[in-house]
Amino acid sequence: MSNLLPVADTAQVRRYARDLFRRYPRALTVAVGLHVLGALAGLVGPRLLGDLVEAIRNGEGVGVVDKLAALIAGFVVLQAILVRFAYLASARLGERVLARLREEFVDRVLALPLSTVEQAGSGDLLTRTTRDVDALSRCVRLAVPETMIALITVVLVVGALVVVTPVLAVSLLVAVPILVVGTRWYLRRAPAGYLKQNAAYSTVTDGLAETVEGARTVDALRRQRQRAERSDADLSKSWVAERYTLFLRMVWFPVVEAAYVLPVVATLVLGGWLYLRGTVSLGQLTAAVIYVQMLIDPLDRLLGWLDELQIGGASLARLLGVEDEARETVQAAATEEPVGTRIEVAGVRFSYVAGREVLHGIDLTLEPGERLAIVGPSGAGKSTLGRLLAGVHEPTGGTITVGGVPLGELPLDRLRREVALVSQEHHVFIGTVHDNVAMVRPGAAEEEVRAALAAVRALEWAEALPDGLGTVVGSGGQALTAAQAQQLALARLVLADPHTLVLDEATSLLDPRAARDLERSLAAVLHGRTVVAIAHRLFSAHDADRVAVVEDGRITELGSHDELVAANGPYAALWRSWHGERVPDPFDEEAATAIR
Amino acid sequence: MRQLPDADPGIPDGRSPVRYLRWLIRRDRFSVYVAIVMAVLWMLCQAVVPAVVGKAIDAATDRDRRDLVIWSLVLLAAGLGQAFFGVVRHRFAVINFLGAMFRTVQVTVRQAGRLGSALPRRLDTGEVVAIGTSDIRQIGSAIDITARGTGSLIAVVAVTVILLTTSVPLGLVVVLGVPLLTAIVGLLIRPLHRLQQASRDQQGLLTGRAADLVGGLRVLRGIGGEAVMGERYRAESQRLRGAGVRTARVESLLEAAQVLLPGIFLVLVTWLGARFALTGHITVGQLVSFYAYAAFLVTPLRQLTEAIDKLTRGHVSARRVVTMLAARTDLPDPAEPRPASELAGELADPASGVTVRPGEVTAIVAAVPADAAAIADRLGRYAEGATAGGQALSSFDLATVRERILVGDNDARLFTGPLRADLDPAGGDRLPAALYAAAATDIVEALPGGLDSEVAERGRSFSGGQQQRLRLVRALVADPDTLVLVEPTSAVDAHTEARIADRLVVARAGRTTVICTSSPLVLDRTDRVFYVEEGRVVATGTHRDLLETEPGYARTVLREDAA
Repeated sequence: MSNLLPVADTAQVRRYARDLFRRYPRALTVAVGLHVLGALAGLVGPRLLGDLVEAIRNGEGVGVVDKLAALIAGFVVLQAILVRFAYLASARLGERVLARLREEFVDRVLALPLSTVEQAGSGDLLTRTTRDVDALSRCVRLAVPETMIALITVVLVVGALVVVTPVLAVSLLVAVPILVVGTRWYLRRAPAGYLKQNAAYSTVTDGLAETVEGARTVDALRRQRQRAERSDADLSKSWVAERYTLFLRMVWFPVVEAAYVLPVVATLVLGGWLYLRGTVSLGQLTAAVIYVQMLIDPLDRLLGWLDELQIGGASLARLLGVEDEARETVQAAATEEPVGTRIEVAGVRFSYVAGREVLHGIDLTLEPGERLAIVGPSGAGKSTLGRLLAGVHEPTGGTITVGGVPLGELPLDRLRREVALVSQEHHVFIGTVHDNVAMVRPGAAEEEVRAALAAVRALEWAEALPDGLGTVVGSGGQALTAAQAQQLALARLVLADPHTLVLDEATSLLDPRAARDLERSLAAVLHGRTVVAIAHRLFSAHDADRVAVVEDGRITELGSHDELVAANGPYAALWRSWHGERVPDPFDEEAATAIR
Repeated sequence: MRQLPDADPGIPDGRSPVRYLRWLIRRDRFSVYVAIVMAVLWMLCQAVVPAVVGKAIDAATDRDRRDLVIWSLVLLAAGLGQAFFGVVRHRFAVINFLGAMFRTVQVTVRQAGRLGSALPRRLDTGEVVAIGTSDIRQIGSAIDITARGTGSLIAVVAVTVILLTTSVPLGLVVVLGVPLLTAIVGLLIRPLHRLQQASRDQQGLLTGRAADLVGGLRVLRGIGGEAVMGERYRAESQRLRGAGVRTARVESLLEAAQVLLPGIFLVLVTWLGARFALTGHITVGQLVSFYAYAAFLVTPLRQLTEAIDKLTRGHVSARRVVTMLAARTDLPDPAEPRPASELAGELADPASGVTVRPGEVTAIVAAVPADAAAIADRLGRYAEGATAGGQALSSFDLATVRERILVGDNDARLFTGPLRADLDPAGGDRLPAALYAAAATDIVEALPGGLDSEVAERGRSFSGGQQQRLRLVRALVADPDTLVLVEPTSAVDAHTEARIADRLVVARAGRTTVICTSSPLVLDRTDRVFYVEEGRVVATGTHRDLLETEPGYARTVLREDAA
């Protein structure tokens, strides 16, 4: 669980960001160009204001003053128009880039090999899918354009200052070392600090949600005091994290603010002195002071967005890391077509983690149309075997073939026509009931979906939902019971109609009588299909053609129900116990001793 | 530095949202007042800057070297003062924000504890969860903004006075014009907020869709459908892009308005000022500072708008908190509770006819499983109706009932944190035995950190069967006089089920246990079985007796046809 998914390095992130914008050269040029023009128009105002002051000093007439004022007003209007279109253009581009980024990411996620997801734990992937995509959206929507605008404004203001009074531009230099040193110090610490702060905050809100949603459990176990203590402890941690970032700001803010005021003072002192000496005019002095003050706002924004940019960059790196992983799985090219539908398992070994083998040499032939039940204690490797049979994992040793072709060599969509798996892990996707079933066969007719639902005895309740099959279910939609979710999973399977089905505890959440009904109904629909049922309830085993008992990664018994009962092995003992004969658990030496 | 949160949040004033907010301020009154004072000083430092710049330029115009230096130094002092007061204000504002936020969390958690099982019946759980996800921030912001709001108000008043004393007509233009502009921008903002909300909702939807894909990835791998799901995501993503562009269209208008309106206004002020300067009414320096003041006023006015907005939102959020604080349980304690010692003897549910003999293992089998769960709820007083030794459970304190009777069902929540803390918070010595009895030792052994491993939200890192066994461990560790278990083995395989049944009986020897189940492996090990149809007991006996005498029972537990 500890091997997180990889993270892209800085060079990859830069390359990706560059490529992304290179794909939209025109849109990018237009957006930047408009911003530059807008900022330029904004700079003319103070310059003309300087002229206005000069005109008054020189005692020019009302006419000149009026004309200058009208001119300034004209530039304000022009700037407003340019800003409008610049903003719109960059937002359009940003949305386009963002949409592409997240769609590519989801495509990569959908192509991830399951083994990778399981090793990393779905938590990491989920964090990337939700938090990182959101962080990146915020970054692209706000931080990127704001920094871009601020940067353009800063450059142009400095440029204007240089044009108006090159001498006075020198006073800006006072601020540079202070800003650089202070900001570097802050940025080196801030991202980690804020990540920690956000994580601590999430812990607080998650803990609160847990207490509220689990109120009955808190009540039953009398955990009221523990919950309060736990929440207070979470708050303390949050406080420590907040205090750290507060400390960072307490250092950085005053440094930056002092750096803002120094150039203004320097301009006044230097400019005043130069004016007295006659080197600069009053108009130049006024304009310079205004320009220097005009720098404060964009500079402040620029610095303020830097940490968001950093966070966005980190998120992008995590999103691109998933691409790396996805790329490594080369899609197998089908070299040959399977002949027939017999599945043969020969000497199969498997380990999730190197050195910890869970299956130690399985040999098994699935005859077309047969019903095989797999039973055995928890952790014996039943589910693993089921996944291997469905081609979800590839064996680490031995082979599994369908019609003579190894499962791993079939392309994914081809494989699914051969064999599919429904496990006890049920998941209702966000969407309508219809979508939830039809997703396995795009374009399936309404009638086929209804038939599939009917086959799993789900049509009745599905039609009784507020909008029938059009009812939105899944997270945030109409709530379904676990049993209903399992029925949906089975309906998908019916619609997908592969020739071999692996059912891993696929009815375990149904109430037992309903489970049996459903399995019978399903058996009728799936007539002629090969079914591997990893059995939870023994009646499934009883109904099967053959039963395989898996213990400790090996098949220890294999045969029909009657043969196994006659053989008087572990299966027979369990069966008798089920039917009311008191026998010690054959798999449980400890308990057997304890009972004696 | 002060430590947050307070060990005791105090007793909130929940009579109204305003009283609740005032209570929060009262609890942190020192730092709230300091923040206000600092905000005022901070704003004043900003407010004098334009005047000082004007004075300095006047000094230059008058060729007064000394004044030029003096005013430049005053400007420096104002800048540094602004930096200093600003950061101190920020520090106290953060403390006020967090203080109010933390206190609200504490109050909510404690109230949730008081309501217990009544919470979902009395309140909308989602609304209470929303207190944690959004309201606490709104309330914190409302308390935080008091400082800047006050500072801005004072700055606006101060600038108004300065302007009016310099030139009454020009002052009036500024004083009336700036609020007017703010109001116009405020009007424009409203439709934008709506669009932004729509955009955010769409973003949330899309994030939910992506999370849904990740959550169902294993299911997809088993059965296919990646292409369809990917296509659907792309469609949603493009819809979000559309919403984003629509929002940007309005946003861009607002951006333009924020350039245009103050810009034109500044031109107006400057033009009027220039004319006054031409006629000698004001100096050139005053003209420049007029310009600067008009520009400056935008900031405090924006903050005032922000303050009104945040206080309104804080009020709405506080209302949600007050609603929660006002909720009372529907399982009240009696005015004169019976002593705990009287909670003894046979536990009975007259509505169904189930009776539980002390010290035995009783099973309830219901043709419809929900009936058994309803009986369990009454036996544990999650609903009224059951009796103990002939006395109604409602005649005891609820705490007494909870201490004696524990109902463990499959909806019981596994809490995040170290596994040990959830299974055995008291830290006694019952844990190993309980792990053994629930056949859960192997679950713990497989964890990299053993009992110290972190439990994921809702115990999601465990399979359904594992979660069930861990819940059983937790119930066994609690070791109540009477333990009522609802379908405790429904998600484990037959082998494990048989094992748990054997061990459970041994672990509970001498205590009272009720198991609602339909598993023959478990039923075979119980002392007495009640068979329930349509909410009423129709047969009683041992598992084997009932198998022979009661065809309905046999059908239910063996799932065999009547044949």
